[in-house]
Amino acid sequence: MAGAPDLLFGLRNNFYLGAFQAAINSGDVQNLSEEDAIERDCLIYRSYIALGSYQLVINEIDSSAATPLQAVKLLALYLLSTDNKETVISSIREWLSEAAIGNNPILRLIAGIIFMHEQDYNEALKYTNAGGTMELNALNVQIFLKMHRSDYTEKQLRIMQQIDEDHTLTQLATAWLNLAVGGSKIQEAYLIFQDFSEKYQMTSLVLNGKAVCCMHMGNFDEAESFLLEALNKDAKDPETLANLVVCSLHLGKSSSRFLSQLKLSHPEHMLVKRGSTAEESFDRAVQTV
Amino acid sequence: MLTKFETKSNRVKGLSFHSKRPWILASLHSGVIQLWDYRMGTLIDRFDEHDGPVRGVHFHQSQPLFVSGGDDYKIKIWRMNDTKAWEVDTLRGHMNNVSCVLFHARQDIIVSNSEDKSIRVWDATKRTGLQTFRREHDRFWILGCHPEMNLLAAGHDSGMIVFKLERERPAFSVSGDSLYFVKDRFLRFYDYTSQKDTQILPIRRPGSISLNQGPRTLCYSPTENAILICSDVDGGSYELYIIPKDSITRGDTVQEAKRGVGGSAVFVARNRFAVLEKSTNQVLVKNLKNEIVKKSALPVAADAIFYAGTGNLLCRAEDRVFIFDLQQRLVLGDLQTSFVRYVVWSSDMESVALLSKHSIIIADKKLVHRCTLHETIRVKSGSWDDNGVFIYTTLTHIKYCLPNGDSGIIKTLDVPVYITKIFGNTLFYLDRDGKNRPIVIDSTEYVFKLSLLKKRFDHVMSMIRNSELCGQAMIAYLQQKGFPEVALHFVKDERTRFNLALESGNIQIAVASAKEIDEKDHWYRLGVEALRQGNSGIVEYAYQRTKNFERLSFLYLITGNLDKLSKMMKISEVKNDVMGQFHNALYLGDVQERIKILVNAGHLHLAYATAKTHGLNDIVEDLADKLNGSVPNLPSGRSSSLLICPTPVLCGGDWPLLRTMKGIFEGGLDNAGKGGNEEYEDAADADWGEELDIVDVENIQNGDISMVPDDEEAHEDNEEGGWDLEDLELPPDVETPKAATSRSSVFVAPTAGMPVSQIWVQKSSLAAEHAAAGNFDTAMRLLSRQLGIKNFTPLKSLFIDLHMGSHSYLRAFSSAPLISLAIERGWSESASPNVRAPPALVFSFSQLEEKLKAGYKATTTGKFTEALRLFLSILHTIPLIVVESRREVDEVKELIIIVKEYVLGLQMELKRRELRDNPVRQQELAAYFTHCNLQLPHLRLALMNAMTVCYKAGNLITASNFARRLLETNPTAENQTKTARSVMQAAERNMKDSTQLNYDFRNPFVVCGATYVPIYRGQKDVLCPGRIRCFRLTVFSSSDQMIHKSFLQSYQSQFFSLNVSGFRSRVEDFCLVADVLCCYIREPITLNCRLDFGYEFSFWRFDIQIFVFLEFVEIWCRLKTVTVVWHSQSGVGL
Repeated sequence: MAGAPDLLFGLRNNFYLGAFQAAINSGDVQNLSEEDAIERDCLIYRSYIALGSYQLVINEIDSSAATPLQAVKLLALYLLSTDNKETVISSIREWLSEAAIGNNPILRLIAGIIFMHEQDYNEALKYTNAGGTMELNALNVQIFLKMHRSDYTEKQLRIMQQIDEDHTLTQLATAWLNLAVGGSKIQEAYLIFQDFSEKYQMTSLVLNGKAVCCMHMGNFDEAESFLLEALNKDAKDPETLANLVVCSLHLGKSSSRFLSQLKLSHPEHMLVKRGSTAEESFDRAVQTV
Repeated sequence: MLTKFETKSNRVKGLSFHSKRPWILASLHSGVIQLWDYRMGTLIDRFDEHDGPVRGVHFHQSQPLFVSGGDDYKIKIWRMNDTKAWEVDTLRGHMNNVSCVLFHARQDIIVSNSEDKSIRVWDATKRTGLQTFRREHDRFWILGCHPEMNLLAAGHDSGMIVFKLERERPAFSVSGDSLYFVKDRFLRFYDYTSQKDTQILPIRRPGSISLNQGPRTLCYSPTENAILICSDVDGGSYELYIIPKDSITRGDTVQEAKRGVGGSAVFVARNRFAVLEKSTNQVLVKNLKNEIVKKSALPVAADAIFYAGTGNLLCRAEDRVFIFDLQQRLVLGDLQTSFVRYVVWSSDMESVALLSKHSIIIADKKLVHRCTLHETIRVKSGSWDDNGVFIYTTLTHIKYCLPNGDSGIIKTLDVPVYITKIFGNTLFYLDRDGKNRPIVIDSTEYVFKLSLLKKRFDHVMSMIRNSELCGQAMIAYLQQKGFPEVALHFVKDERTRFNLALESGNIQIAVASAKEIDEKDHWYRLGVEALRQGNSGIVEYAYQRTKNFERLSFLYLITGNLDKLSKMMKISEVKNDVMGQFHNALYLGDVQERIKILVNAGHLHLAYATAKTHGLNDIVEDLADKLNGSVPNLPSGRSSSLLICPTPVLCGGDWPLLRTMKGIFEGGLDNAGKGGNEEYEDAADADWGEELDIVDVENIQNGDISMVPDDEEAHEDNEEGGWDLEDLELPPDVETPKAATSRSSVFVAPTAGMPVSQIWVQKSSLAAEHAAAGNFDTAMRLLSRQLGIKNFTPLKSLFIDLHMGSHSYLRAFSSAPLISLAIERGWSESASPNVRAPPALVFSFSQLEEKLKAGYKATTTGKFTEALRLFLSILHTIPLIVVESRREVDEVKELIIIVKEYVLGLQMELKRRELRDNPVRQQELAAYFTHCNLQLPHLRLALMNAMTVCYKAGNLITASNFARRLLETNPTAENQTKTARSVMQAAERNMKDSTQLNYDFRNPFVVCGATYVPIYRGQKDVLCPGRIRCFRLTVFSSSDQMIHKSFLQSYQSQFFSLNVSGFRSRVEDFCLVADVLCCYIREPITLNCRLDFGYEFSFWRFDIQIFVFLEFVEIWCRLKTVTVVWHSQSGVGL
């Protein structure tokens, strides 16, 4: 709560709200302390990762870079190809066991993300549960949500609220939880996304958030308009496409265009997988009945 | 002078009339106050309580009170009744002789002034001093009080002052279409649309007694319904009220508000407000519980804060305002201003108006200065209209300010008002009594100017056409602002018109005006302008009109118009204008002519020289003779020749001008052509029936068939969907060490909880919900058990859609896996969190209704395959529809019956088309089709079809039967009637059928859905187990008879154990039941029914029961012709 201006505020905010290109563009901040400069670089490289430019990150971070950056590089390697998985996991385990760097929050965060991808939530929590940064706390929230443990999510969220209730991540995490528990909380989630859209630039993340809230409130028409707006901003955003598929189904419209777009651009997307497993299980079920 | 009454009192220094009674008070230099009845001329009473002279006395307007003030520095309050008066109290405080004292006209206070150079305000009830105003050097002598308004005046040694004691501006805040404001001790709410004023809640009375402690500002958060009221109490403090959602309390109980001290308080987000702590120059951000969430130091000392968008504050410092971002702790913009009193944001938050006492500054959201207006009269309030014009009030006027800083008066005011909101040209204001009033203002002027400014000329034009707005001021404005072409349209006076036309370069109008005026000067100016524009035609015309030959010649020269130039020469000759003649000759290069002119003019030497130069030797000699040898000595050594005149490259003509769009002001703008939007239902590709070649019958036309969809949209009354959820909680915390949350070395990760989809499966017995959850095997088992469905292949895509539509996707943390969220059905605002509702299903009854309409349409246009596909898909989807009410069950049942008929009919029609070489079967199928229960237009088409087929095959009786039926439907299409009539006529002439059909229209029948063979009434139904209205089972498979059998078996076993004799043979009636089974009712009600012939049975599902029961009743009546008496235990009526 110091009085000094928070120079990385805009960058961080853009990153959290999914305005990755804006985050990269706003990275030119002068007069940063060394620590802040590393944070800035991490955020920028993570933005590139979010945009899918894995190779760029891998190329630009050399072996002399600081631990957090190395961790970011590991994430890029992990996401680049499934072939790298094992080496990445073994090296991240190795680093985490080193006393000197094992406690680095970014390293722990990246470890958490990677183990989440591996669906090994226990392992992920092993590194992230202690918290320490807002990002780690937010990741914990997400892990608990994935585990369908809203009770733990709530506890984690309370910690975040105590630290800074108005922090973008606190607000976002509140919205995630609200959506997960449903009922009257969905309105609150909607208000949070609404606040974001008024305060900052509209990103597909925020628009998707609003759309998801609308869908959960049974308002598929409005959801569709948000999603189409998001599609205008980013025609390839997988979540927009996935949610559009869901939304179109509910509106009785054809969803095949969006689905095939998604299948082409993101064959690994959760919705695509859901569709293919559904087909398999249908065929299997027909045999048994 | 008309003397009414006179006393001989000594040196009367003060006088006061009683407002109603015939009384007058007189205070004397001696210290005595006398009360006189001036009508009777008697002294009622005298009071001798003051020491020394009494200079001021004053009756209270309504109460039996008066005050007096004297040179003993005291003020005395007196009470009186009909007979006497007595002193009630003495106010001490003045340090010198009291000059004047009086009761305030509108407030319960006493105001006095004195030679001690002060004015004092006293509470009349509590009789305590409230406030003192001092002057440095001037003693006060006299006071005056306005009888109605809140105004006082005081005279002192060097002049007088007019003043008021309390602010009269009500605290208010506009939110959307409503206004929140404070009046007296109440927070009130005003709705602009209904213009209703409602009291919301009482607010706290200021604790302290001093003046000006009322609410100063008000701030409202719409989402949270919270109100912040700031006042000057305790040197600046705020109170936070939450407006109760449900009720608007009329009571007098003051809500326990949350309070705090601070310079000003405003909402910065829906549930956050900022409070200025002046002592530390910090902004405290608080939540609605009044707890501090955050503190931010301001970079510049500020004495007030205002709202500036979410998370931002507009702060007022000594000589500037600045916008501060609370999160980034950055100053986003600042602006030098005088002391800003009020801040008004436009509704889009793009512009802000900063109101000072005598000026208004308009700036954008980053405080970039746009314009400043200075007013000599105090600025009171303002608001933005929808077009971005700022409308404001001064003490005396309502005025506007355009985005470019132009301003003007809209209306004069008698009393000051506070604008709260503007809708179009209705302006809402609060007056000083706290009343909301709308007034309609004439917005023409500023809207016009704004349109000009925004270059929306179409708008400008229509305003010019429609309104009488005009006047010199407007013309001057237009001219000054560079819109002479617009001004042109206002002006009738030709001279002004001419000037404006020239200014705007509109030659046509200028010419027209010049013709009207017809003055040399105007022609000349027209010529100059036309020349500038290269419009030589007009230039020529202008010069001709003014007979300006020289210019005209020169114009012809430069435009290469040699013909006219030579004419000019002739004209000069006729006019004897030698010089002009010579010029023209020179221009034309006509040397002979020049010589001739020179000779005629007597300039023989010059003529000689000219001739010599150009080598005209015979003339030279001739001239030399005339000159008698005194020939001029010309330089030699030059070859002499005639001029060769250059041929003009381009002759005459105006300069080519760019083709420009005709300005909106030039052409008429009534070319707003109406794009006809035709929307014909295209039935051109209709594929109904073949041609029927009767002599006078053309094609059957379907184009004009209007579909008659069943518009009776039954609305669903959403009855409580009886999901009685036995709150299935999330699994309890598995024994986890409590300290696990943070800073613990031993962290045990919790076990995973139960996904929502699993909860759905546990709670539901509906196949569709199991499918949505992805449990296809249980879904199939349910369908198989409930409906006997065996073939699931047609349901595959439906199952997958249900499953895919059951979750939404949320990108949470960047690069981390997605969160998928279960979408639940029947959301309501009040639903409690963490209680899982059933899944939202992608199929709904309304979708099916849409499909039905599409099916009808496809049928109308003859796209039978498409129609059949649609109808079948309706039937396929129905088992997966979940409805919530009995009414909807009825609707679904109805839908099944409709669709079933169409499916059968369309299948037969398609089959018929395959059988081109079997005319008998063709006729039969066409005939059966007409017995399906179709919409009227479709029935007509089917009848036409059957009629045509039969007629062609020579079955005239049958054809005429169809014709008759067709006519009975009163066809709207002319040609249908005509065809039918002619078929009937043909049949009458020749009553015979050439082939025998299996079709007896007199005998009611049903058609087997598998073999398309009629089963007549009275025929033994058991005759063909495979042919019993099996078409209903085409729902699941149109060909698989195995399904059919198993279906029947399952129902036989379930229902026929009742063993009601005579029912077994009517198996097919249960098919209807089976159809109905497809729709579910939530909450099965078990109902015991008893038929009076002795059978008692109960069904496990309410819906099944109803329809099965109806069927039983119906069948029973038919078979036994007895009345069935039945009753239900639960009282559900049928």
